[in-house]
Amino acid sequence: MSRFLVLLTSASLIVLMFGLWIPFKALVAQELLEQAWSESQAQQTEQRPWPWADTWPVARLELPEFGVSMIVLEGGHGESLAFGPGRVFGGEHGPLILAGHRDTHFRHLQNVQPGNQLRVQDQSRRWQEYEVTDVAIVDSRTEAIDTHQLPQDSVLLITCYPFDTLDARGPLRYVVKARPTTQKGPNNAVAIL
Amino acid sequence: MLLTLFANPAARAGFNASRRLTPKLDARKRLRIAEGVSLWLAVLMMLFVHPLYAEASEGNEERAGQLYLMDGQSSWQQPALVLDSDFKVQVSGLLAQTRLTRSFKNTSDQWQEGVFVFPLPEKATVYGLEMTVGERRVVGRLEPKAQARKTYDKAKAAGQHAATVEQQRPNMFTSRIANIPPGETVRVDIRYQQPVSYRHGEFELRLPTTLTPRYMPGETIADAPKHWQSGWATPTDQVPDAHEISPFTVRADDVSPQSHRATIALDIESGFPLAEVTSPSHSLHTNIDGTRATVTPEGDRVLMNKDVIVRWRALAGREPAAAVFHQQWQGQDFLMAMVLPPESTGPVLRRELQFVIDTSGSMAGESMVQAREALLRGLDTLRPGDYFNVIQFNSQAHALFTQPVPAERHYLARARHYVHNLQADGGTEMTGALSLAMSMNRAPVEALVQQMVFITDGAVGNESALFEKIRQGLNERRLFTVGIGSAPNMHFLREAARWGRGEYTAIHNSGEVNQALKKLFAAMEAPVLTDLEVRWPSEGSESNPVPSKPGDLFLGRPLVQVIQGVPAAGELDVSGKLPGGRRWSTRLNLNHAAPATGLNRHWARGQIDELMDTARLDGESPDQARIIRLSMAHRVMSPFTSFVAVEEQPVRPAAENLESEQLPTLLPAGSRSGMLRYPQTATFWPLFSALGLVGLMFALAVAMLNRRATA
Repeated sequence: MSRFLVLLTSASLIVLMFGLWIPFKALVAQELLEQAWSESQAQQTEQRPWPWADTWPVARLELPEFGVSMIVLEGGHGESLAFGPGRVFGGEHGPLILAGHRDTHFRHLQNVQPGNQLRVQDQSRRWQEYEVTDVAIVDSRTEAIDTHQLPQDSVLLITCYPFDTLDARGPLRYVVKARPTTQKGPNNAVAIL
Repeated sequence: MLLTLFANPAARAGFNASRRLTPKLDARKRLRIAEGVSLWLAVLMMLFVHPLYAEASEGNEERAGQLYLMDGQSSWQQPALVLDSDFKVQVSGLLAQTRLTRSFKNTSDQWQEGVFVFPLPEKATVYGLEMTVGERRVVGRLEPKAQARKTYDKAKAAGQHAATVEQQRPNMFTSRIANIPPGETVRVDIRYQQPVSYRHGEFELRLPTTLTPRYMPGETIADAPKHWQSGWATPTDQVPDAHEISPFTVRADDVSPQSHRATIALDIESGFPLAEVTSPSHSLHTNIDGTRATVTPEGDRVLMNKDVIVRWRALAGREPAAAVFHQQWQGQDFLMAMVLPPESTGPVLRRELQFVIDTSGSMAGESMVQAREALLRGLDTLRPGDYFNVIQFNSQAHALFTQPVPAERHYLARARHYVHNLQADGGTEMTGALSLAMSMNRAPVEALVQQMVFITDGAVGNESALFEKIRQGLNERRLFTVGIGSAPNMHFLREAARWGRGEYTAIHNSGEVNQALKKLFAAMEAPVLTDLEVRWPSEGSESNPVPSKPGDLFLGRPLVQVIQGVPAAGELDVSGKLPGGRRWSTRLNLNHAAPATGLNRHWARGQIDELMDTARLDGESPDQARIIRLSMAHRVMSPFTSFVAVEEQPVRPAAENLESEQLPTLLPAGSRSGMLRYPQTATFWPLFSALGLVGLMFALAVAMLNRRATA
C-alpha cells in the first residue's frame, strides 16, 4: 500500500512541478529579460536574453491600472510566449499585434475594460499611450486577423478564452483592441476580424 | 505528456538498471531504494525530455504572416482535399475554349464536401459542367441560382454525389462538390470560353489561377446569415457577399505538395502564320507549325499562384487587320467581325494628368515595387505645358498637391520623392480616392485634356458601386487603369476603364513596366477613332450586335462585334472620326467569313452584360427573367443561373457524417500576406497543477485512511 502511496505522491508531485514550472519560468524569465531589454535600449540592437534564445525583447508593455509591466518578445511562437508576451506582427509599420498566455502574462486581460489605459515603450525609450476601445471574443477556426484592414496605429492584444478553463487548445480567442490616446485618429475603419 | 514518459522504454530501462545495482540488500529495502532511484531517474528524464518535446512541437508553431488551416482543436492541419487542375485550351481565331478539369481527392477518412472559390478569365462564359466519379459521368444542368442551390443541398443531404458551379463576380466562381468518399476522387469538368485579347499586333490569353484577397469596405453586418459561408471576411453593408468571395489564402508549402498544381496545354489555331509564342509569366515549351502552335509551360505542373499569360504574334507584315467569323446555331446566324482602326496620331494635346496609386495592404511586396515604377514612368511622359497631380490611397486618400501643378522640374522632383517613399498598408477605400480625384480643382489653364491614371490590383469587393461612381463623377475625364501584381482583378480594371471611356493595361513583372506603359501612354495621347458607326447589312429588328455601342477606339485596339441574325453575305461598314476631325471608313466583305464555334455563347454573354449595364444606368435591378431566359437558351451561365450535376444513386450511408472543407487559394506570387491566424495562447499549467494537486490530495487521503486503519 505504501508503495502505491509513494508512487502516487511522487507522480502527483512531478505533474504539479511541471505545472508550476510554467508560471515560474514565465516569472523568472521576465526578470532576466529586464536586463536584456535595458541593454538593447542602451545599444539600440537586438539583445538575446541568453545565448541560445530564439527570441529577443522588442518592447515593454504596461497596464497601469493593474500595475502590470512586462517585456514583449519577438514572435508568437511557443518559445517566446513561454517567457513573455510575443509580438506576432508589427514594428515600424502597421498595427502592433501582441499575443500572450491567458494563464501567465495576459491573465489580467480578463479584467480589461474599454477605456482602460495601455502603454508601450519601444527600443528608443519612447512611450506611446493607448486606450482600449473594444474587447471581442473570436473563433480562431473561422476568423483570421487581416492586418491590412486594421488601423495603422492600433494595438491588438490576443489571448485564449475562456480564462478559467483547463483546456489549453480551445478555439476561442480574447482580443483587446486599443488606439493611441495622444493623437486621436478618426476611428472610421473598423477592423474586420 | 506523462503518459508518453511512462510509455517510454528508456524510462523503464531505468527501473531495470537500478535494480541490478543493489544485489546485497534485503528484498524490502532493495525495492524501496529501487523505487526511489527510479522515480528520481524519471524526474530527471522528464526534465530532459521536456525541452525536447517542446522543441519537437516547435516545428508546427505558427510563423507570423502565415495562415494555417485549423481543425476543431485549433491545431495545424493540411486541407483534407487535394486539388488538381488541368487546363486544356483550344484557341481558334478570336475565341478560346477551355476544358478545366478539377479533381478533388479526399485524403481523410471522413466524407467530405469541398467548397472552392476560384477565378476565371474576366470575360469567361461558362457553358458546361460535368462530374466524374469513378466510371460514372454526370452532365450538369443549368438552373436558376436559387433552385440550383436547393437541388444541390437536397442531393448533399441525401448522400448523393453532386457538384455545382455558381458565379459570384464576372471573374469569380464557386464550385461545391458534395459527398466525396474517403480516399476517393471526384472530378469536375468546367467548360468555358473567353475572347482572346488583340492589341498592338499581339494576341494575349490570360488564365488566372488564384485570387488576390479583396478588401471589403463598409460596416460589418452583425446578423448576417451564416449559411453557405466559405470565407474569412464577414458581410458588410457595401459588400453583402463578402463571405462568399474571400477564400483563405495560404502559402504553397501549407498545402500538400500534390495540391494546387495545374497542368496546362494550349492548342492555338491562329489563322495566320505565327512568328512566336511568349509568356511574361512562365517559361514555355512551344511547338509552332505554320498557323498552329501547341504550348505547355515548362516543368509540367505549375503552381497556382499567378496568372498564366500566353502571347502570340504573326510574322511581320502578316498581322491581321480584319477578320470575320460565322456560325450557324439552331438555325440562326451569328457573325463576329474584327476591324483594326488606322494607325494615325493627331496633334499633341496638353493634358492634365492625375495619377491615382493604390497603396493598400494587398499591394505589399512586389506589387508596390511595380506600382511605384509605373508611376515614375508616368511622370517621365509629362511634357512642358502638362499639369499633373499624384494621389495615393489606402484607408484614406491623400493628394500630393492641393490642385494640379505644372510639369516643371521642382514639382516633378517632389513627386518623385513622394512616390519613392510610398508604403503599402491599410484598406482599399477606392471611393474616397475617386471622390478626391474627381472633385479636385482643375488646373488654371483652358483646353487641357483631362486624364486619370489609376494604378491598382483591383482587390476590392464592391466593384459595382465603384463603376457607378466612375460613371457619374468623371465628367470629361478619361480613366486609364494599370493592373499590378500576379493575380490582379482584371474584371475591375477592364470595366473601370470602359466606364471611364479609357484603356487598361496590366503589368506582370517589373521587367515589363516600361513596355506596357509605353503602349498605354501612346494610346492615351488620343483615341484613334471616335463617333464610331457600325452598319451591318440587312440589319433588321431581330439582330442586335454586342457591344451595341462600342466606345472610342485607342491605338492598336480593334473593334470586335458579334451579331445575331445576320447571314454571312454583304458588307460591313465601319466608320469613325480620326483625331484630326477627318472621317474614316472601311468595308468588310462578309462572304468570306471563316467558320467558328461559340459565337452564340459569346453573343449571349454580351447580351447579358448589356442588360446588367442598362439596369445599372437606370438604377434599377436587372431584368432577371430575361437574363435567365437568355442564359437557358444558349446554355451559358449568368449571375442568376448556376450549373448543377447530381448523381441519382445515394452513396453516403445515412450514419456517416459529412464534413465540409473550404479549399484555400494560394497567395499570389510576390505578394505579402496580411492574414494572420490567432496564435495558441494557453499553457498546460492549470491542467497540470490541478492534476498534481488532485493526486496529492488523493494520496494524503489514502495515507490518513491507512494510518487510521493501522492505529
